[in-house]
Amino acid sequence: MTQIKLKQFGEMLISRPAGREAWLVAKAYSLPPKEKDEILVDFEGVLVLTPSWADEFLTKLKEKYIDVKYLNTSNASVRATLEVI
Amino acid sequence: MEYETDQGFSGEQEICPSRDVFQARIDKVRQEFETATAFKADRIYPLIAVVGEIGNNSFDHNLGKWRDIAGIYFDVDFENKTIVLADRGQGIFSSIKNVRPDIANDLEAIEIAFTEKISGRYPEKRGNGLKFVTKVAQNLGLEIILRSGDAMAKIENKILSFKNTDDNMKGVLAVIKY
Repeated sequence: MTQIKLKQFGEMLISRPAGREAWLVAKAYSLPPKEKDEILVDFEGVLVLTPSWADEFLTKLKEKYIDVKYLNTSNASVRATLEVI
Repeated sequence: MEYETDQGFSGEQEICPSRDVFQARIDKVRQEFETATAFKADRIYPLIAVVGEIGNNSFDHNLGKWRDIAGIYFDVDFENKTIVLADRGQGIFSSIKNVRPDIANDLEAIEIAFTEKISGRYPEKRGNGLKFVTKVAQNLGLEIILRSGDAMAKIENKILSFKNTDDNMKGVLAVIKY
Protein backbone atom coordinates (compact mmCIF):
# COMPACT_ATOMS: atom_id res chain seq x y z
CA MET A 1 0.00 0.00 0.00
CA THR A 2 1.23 3.47 -0.90
CA GLN A 3 -0.20 6.62 0.66
CA ILE A 4 -0.04 9.95 -1.16
CA LYS A 5 -0.66 13.08 0.91
CA LEU A 6 -1.89 15.68 -1.56
CA LYS A 7 -1.10 18.52 0.81
CA GLN A 8 2.52 17.83 -0.08
CA PHE A 9 1.68 19.46 -3.42
CA GLY A 10 -0.02 22.48 -1.85
CA GLU A 11 -3.22 23.62 -0.14
CA MET A 12 -4.57 25.16 -3.35
CA LEU A 13 -4.57 22.56 -6.13
CA ILE A 14 -5.96 24.55 -9.03
CA SER A 15 -4.15 24.60 -12.37
CA ARG A 16 -3.50 21.90 -14.96
CA PRO A 17 0.24 22.54 -15.19
CA ALA A 18 0.53 22.18 -11.42
CA GLY A 19 -1.44 18.95 -11.50
CA ARG A 20 0.65 17.61 -14.35
CA GLU A 21 3.87 18.45 -12.52
CA ALA A 22 2.58 16.79 -9.34
CA TRP A 23 1.74 13.65 -11.31
CA LEU A 24 5.18 13.48 -12.89
CA VAL A 25 6.94 13.99 -9.54
CA ALA A 26 4.73 11.43 -7.81
CA LYS A 27 5.41 8.91 -10.58
CA ALA A 28 9.13 9.45 -10.26
CA TYR A 29 9.50 9.40 -6.48
CA SER A 30 6.36 8.24 -4.67
CA LEU A 31 4.27 5.79 -6.65
CA PRO A 32 4.99 2.07 -6.92
CA PRO A 33 5.82 0.43 -10.24
CA LYS A 34 3.15 -2.27 -9.98
CA GLU A 35 -0.34 -1.44 -11.24
CA LYS A 36 -1.98 -3.78 -8.74
CA ASP A 37 -0.61 -2.01 -5.65
CA GLU A 38 -3.15 -0.23 -3.46
CA ILE A 39 -2.93 3.59 -3.56
CA LEU A 40 -4.41 5.72 -0.78
CA VAL A 41 -4.89 9.38 -1.70
CA ASP A 42 -5.17 11.54 1.40
CA PHE A 43 -6.86 14.95 0.94
CA GLU A 44 -6.25 16.13 4.51
CA GLY A 45 -5.14 19.78 4.51
CA VAL A 46 -6.21 20.45 0.93
CA LEU A 47 -8.32 23.62 0.93
CA VAL A 48 -9.15 24.05 -2.74
CA LEU A 49 -9.22 21.41 -5.47
CA THR A 50 -10.38 21.97 -9.05
CA PRO A 51 -11.30 19.50 -11.80
CA SER A 52 -8.37 20.80 -13.88
CA TRP A 53 -5.76 19.83 -11.29
CA ALA A 54 -7.58 16.59 -10.49
CA ASP A 55 -7.81 15.64 -14.18
CA GLU A 56 -4.06 15.82 -14.48
CA PHE A 57 -3.33 13.86 -11.29
CA LEU A 58 -6.24 11.75 -10.05
CA THR A 59 -7.56 10.73 -13.48
CA LYS A 60 -4.11 9.55 -14.52
CA LEU A 61 -3.66 7.81 -11.19
CA LYS A 62 -6.91 5.89 -11.67
CA GLU A 63 -5.93 5.00 -15.25
CA LYS A 64 -2.62 3.51 -14.10
CA TYR A 65 -3.60 1.80 -10.86
CA ILE A 66 -6.46 -0.61 -10.28
CA ASP A 67 -7.00 0.01 -6.57
CA VAL A 68 -7.18 3.74 -5.72
CA LYS A 69 -8.91 4.84 -2.53
CA TYR A 70 -9.58 8.35 -1.19
CA LEU A 71 -9.19 9.51 2.41
CA ASN A 72 -10.38 12.69 4.17
CA THR A 73 -12.62 14.03 1.42
CA SER A 74 -14.83 16.22 3.61
CA ASN A 75 -13.64 19.54 2.13
CA ALA A 76 -16.45 20.97 0.00
CA SER A 77 -14.31 21.76 -3.05
CA VAL A 78 -12.76 18.29 -2.90
CA ARG A 79 -16.20 16.70 -2.79
CA ALA A 80 -17.50 18.85 -5.64
CA THR A 81 -14.48 18.07 -7.82
CA LEU A 82 -14.60 14.33 -7.18
CA GLU A 83 -18.23 14.33 -8.30
CA VAL A 84 -17.38 15.66 -11.77
CA ILE A 85 -14.11 14.00 -12.76
CA MET B 1 -27.14 41.35 -11.94
CA GLU B 2 -26.01 44.49 -13.68
CA TYR B 3 -22.65 45.38 -15.12
CA GLU B 4 -21.18 47.76 -17.63
CA THR B 5 -19.35 46.39 -20.62
CA ASP B 6 -17.88 49.64 -21.86
CA GLN B 7 -15.74 50.47 -18.84
CA GLY B 8 -12.81 48.30 -19.88
CA PHE B 9 -10.07 47.25 -17.53
CA SER B 10 -10.07 49.49 -14.49
CA GLY B 11 -6.39 49.27 -13.66
CA GLU B 12 -3.24 47.48 -14.70
CA GLN B 13 -2.70 46.29 -11.13
CA GLU B 14 -5.68 43.96 -11.52
CA ILE B 15 -4.22 42.16 -14.54
CA CYS B 16 -2.46 38.85 -13.99
CA PRO B 17 -0.10 38.55 -16.95
CA SER B 18 0.85 34.98 -16.10
CA ARG B 19 -0.62 31.94 -14.40
CA ASP B 20 1.86 32.29 -11.55
CA VAL B 21 0.66 35.81 -10.77
CA PHE B 22 -2.95 34.62 -10.87
CA GLN B 23 -2.12 31.75 -8.49
CA ALA B 24 -0.48 34.17 -6.05
CA ARG B 25 -3.41 36.58 -6.21
CA ILE B 26 -6.05 33.92 -5.75
CA ASP B 27 -4.12 32.59 -2.75
CA LYS B 28 -4.13 36.09 -1.26
CA VAL B 29 -7.87 36.42 -1.92
CA ARG B 30 -8.43 33.09 -0.19
CA GLN B 31 -6.56 34.33 2.86
CA GLU B 32 -8.64 37.51 2.91
CA PHE B 33 -11.81 35.44 2.88
CA GLU B 34 -10.47 33.30 5.73
CA THR B 35 -9.94 36.32 7.97
CA ALA B 36 -13.54 37.56 7.53
CA THR B 37 -15.82 36.99 10.50
CA ALA B 38 -18.50 35.45 8.29
CA PHE B 39 -16.03 32.97 6.77
CA LYS B 40 -17.60 29.61 5.92
CA ALA B 41 -15.22 26.99 4.55
CA ASP B 42 -17.98 25.02 2.83
CA ARG B 43 -18.88 28.12 0.81
CA ILE B 44 -15.59 29.90 0.23
CA TYR B 45 -13.35 27.02 -0.86
CA PRO B 46 -15.69 25.86 -3.65
CA LEU B 47 -16.08 29.52 -4.67
CA ILE B 48 -12.29 29.82 -4.90
CA ALA B 49 -12.25 26.63 -6.96
CA VAL B 50 -14.75 28.16 -9.40
CA VAL B 51 -12.62 31.29 -9.72
CA GLY B 52 -9.51 29.16 -10.21
CA GLU B 53 -11.20 27.05 -12.86
CA ILE B 54 -12.44 30.05 -14.87
CA GLY B 55 -9.16 31.95 -14.53
CA ASN B 56 -7.00 29.03 -15.50
CA ASN B 57 -9.26 28.29 -18.49
CA SER B 58 -8.10 31.62 -19.88
CA PHE B 59 -4.47 30.53 -19.75
CA ASP B 60 -5.21 26.96 -20.91
CA HIS B 61 -6.93 28.12 -24.09
CA ASN B 62 -5.23 31.39 -24.96
CA LEU B 63 -1.49 31.05 -24.48
CA GLY B 64 -0.07 32.39 -27.71
CA LYS B 65 -3.53 33.57 -28.83
CA TRP B 66 -4.05 36.81 -26.88
CA ARG B 67 -5.60 39.62 -28.95
CA ASP B 68 -3.57 42.39 -27.30
CA ILE B 69 -3.34 42.10 -23.50
CA ALA B 70 -1.74 38.87 -22.26
CA GLY B 71 -3.24 37.28 -19.18
CA ILE B 72 -6.42 37.93 -17.26
CA TYR B 73 -8.14 40.67 -15.36
CA PHE B 74 -9.03 39.48 -11.87
CA ASP B 75 -10.69 41.64 -9.25
CA VAL B 76 -12.73 41.01 -6.11
CA ASP B 77 -15.15 43.54 -4.67
CA PHE B 78 -15.58 42.26 -1.11
CA GLU B 79 -18.10 44.96 -0.24
CA ASN B 80 -20.45 44.09 -3.08
CA LYS B 81 -19.52 40.39 -3.03
CA THR B 82 -18.62 40.39 -6.70
CA ILE B 83 -15.72 38.76 -8.53
CA VAL B 84 -14.76 39.67 -12.09
CA LEU B 85 -12.50 37.72 -14.41
CA ALA B 86 -11.84 38.66 -18.02
CA ASP B 87 -9.46 37.86 -20.81
CA ARG B 88 -8.68 39.23 -24.25
CA GLY B 89 -8.25 35.80 -25.78
CA GLN B 90 -9.78 33.95 -28.71
CA GLY B 91 -13.17 33.37 -27.05
CA ILE B 92 -15.13 30.16 -26.64
CA PHE B 93 -16.42 29.85 -30.24
CA SER B 94 -12.94 30.07 -31.72
CA SER B 95 -11.61 27.71 -29.07
CA ILE B 96 -13.93 24.82 -29.76
CA LYS B 97 -14.84 25.18 -33.43
CA ASN B 98 -11.73 23.22 -34.40
CA VAL B 99 -13.12 20.12 -32.71
CA ARG B 100 -16.77 20.86 -33.51
CA PRO B 101 -16.83 22.49 -36.97
CA ASP B 102 -20.62 22.12 -37.00
CA ILE B 103 -20.94 24.84 -34.37
CA ALA B 104 -22.19 27.95 -36.13
CA ASN B 105 -21.95 30.80 -33.67
CA ASP B 106 -21.08 32.09 -30.20
CA LEU B 107 -24.41 31.07 -28.70
CA GLU B 108 -24.12 27.43 -29.80
CA ALA B 109 -20.50 27.38 -28.64
CA ILE B 110 -21.18 28.69 -25.14
CA GLU B 111 -24.14 26.34 -24.68
CA ILE B 112 -22.08 23.33 -25.72
CA ALA B 113 -19.16 24.43 -23.52
CA PHE B 114 -21.47 24.46 -20.50
CA THR B 115 -23.42 21.31 -21.20
CA GLU B 116 -21.16 18.86 -23.03
CA LYS B 117 -17.83 17.32 -22.13
CA ILE B 118 -15.85 18.99 -24.88
CA SER B 119 -12.61 20.94 -25.13
CA GLY B 120 -10.83 22.76 -27.90
CA ARG B 121 -7.63 21.08 -26.75
CA TYR B 122 -8.37 17.74 -28.41
CA PRO B 123 -7.05 15.03 -27.99
CA GLU B 124 -6.53 15.93 -24.34
CA LYS B 125 -9.31 14.64 -22.10
CA ARG B 126 -10.80 17.84 -20.81
CA GLY B 127 -14.11 19.57 -20.59
CA ASN B 128 -15.33 19.26 -17.02
CA GLY B 129 -14.57 22.80 -15.94
CA LEU B 130 -17.74 24.68 -16.81
CA LYS B 131 -19.90 21.75 -15.69
CA PHE B 132 -18.14 22.04 -12.33
CA VAL B 133 -18.74 25.80 -12.30
CA THR B 134 -22.45 25.25 -12.94
CA LYS B 135 -22.75 22.55 -10.30
CA VAL B 136 -21.04 24.61 -7.59
CA ALA B 137 -23.02 27.73 -8.52
CA GLN B 138 -26.26 25.79 -8.21
CA ASN B 139 -25.20 24.22 -4.91
CA LEU B 140 -24.09 27.51 -3.36
CA GLY B 141 -26.67 29.76 -4.99
CA LEU B 142 -24.03 31.82 -6.80
CA GLU B 143 -25.03 34.11 -9.64
CA ILE B 144 -22.71 33.86 -12.60
CA ILE B 145 -22.67 35.59 -15.97
CA LEU B 146 -20.16 34.35 -18.50
CA ARG B 147 -19.96 36.18 -21.82
CA SER B 148 -18.03 35.42 -24.99
CA GLY B 149 -18.62 36.96 -28.40
CA ASP B 150 -22.29 37.91 -28.66
CA ALA B 151 -23.44 35.13 -26.35
CA MET B 152 -24.02 34.89 -22.64
CA ALA B 153 -24.50 32.07 -20.15
CA LYS B 154 -26.25 32.95 -16.93
CA ILE B 155 -26.74 31.00 -13.73
CA GLU B 156 -29.33 32.64 -11.56
CA ASN B 157 -31.60 31.08 -8.95
CA LYS B 158 -29.83 27.80 -9.76
CA ILE B 159 -31.06 27.93 -13.38
CA LEU B 160 -28.59 27.86 -16.28
CA SER B 161 -29.73 29.81 -19.34
CA PHE B 162 -28.22 31.15 -22.55
CA LYS B 163 -28.97 34.11 -24.78
CA ASN B 164 -27.52 36.45 -27.38
CA THR B 165 -26.25 39.88 -26.40
CA ASP B 166 -26.36 43.17 -28.29
CA ASP B 167 -22.64 43.81 -28.11
CA ASN B 168 -19.61 41.63 -28.80
CA MET B 169 -17.27 40.54 -25.98
CA LYS B 170 -13.88 39.90 -27.54
CA GLY B 171 -12.57 37.18 -25.26
CA VAL B 172 -14.36 36.02 -22.12
CA LEU B 173 -15.90 37.96 -19.25
CA ALA B 174 -17.13 36.28 -16.08
CA VAL B 175 -18.98 38.05 -13.27
CA ILE B 176 -19.63 36.07 -10.09
CA LYS B 177 -21.95 37.28 -7.33
CA TYR B 178 -21.45 35.23 -4.18
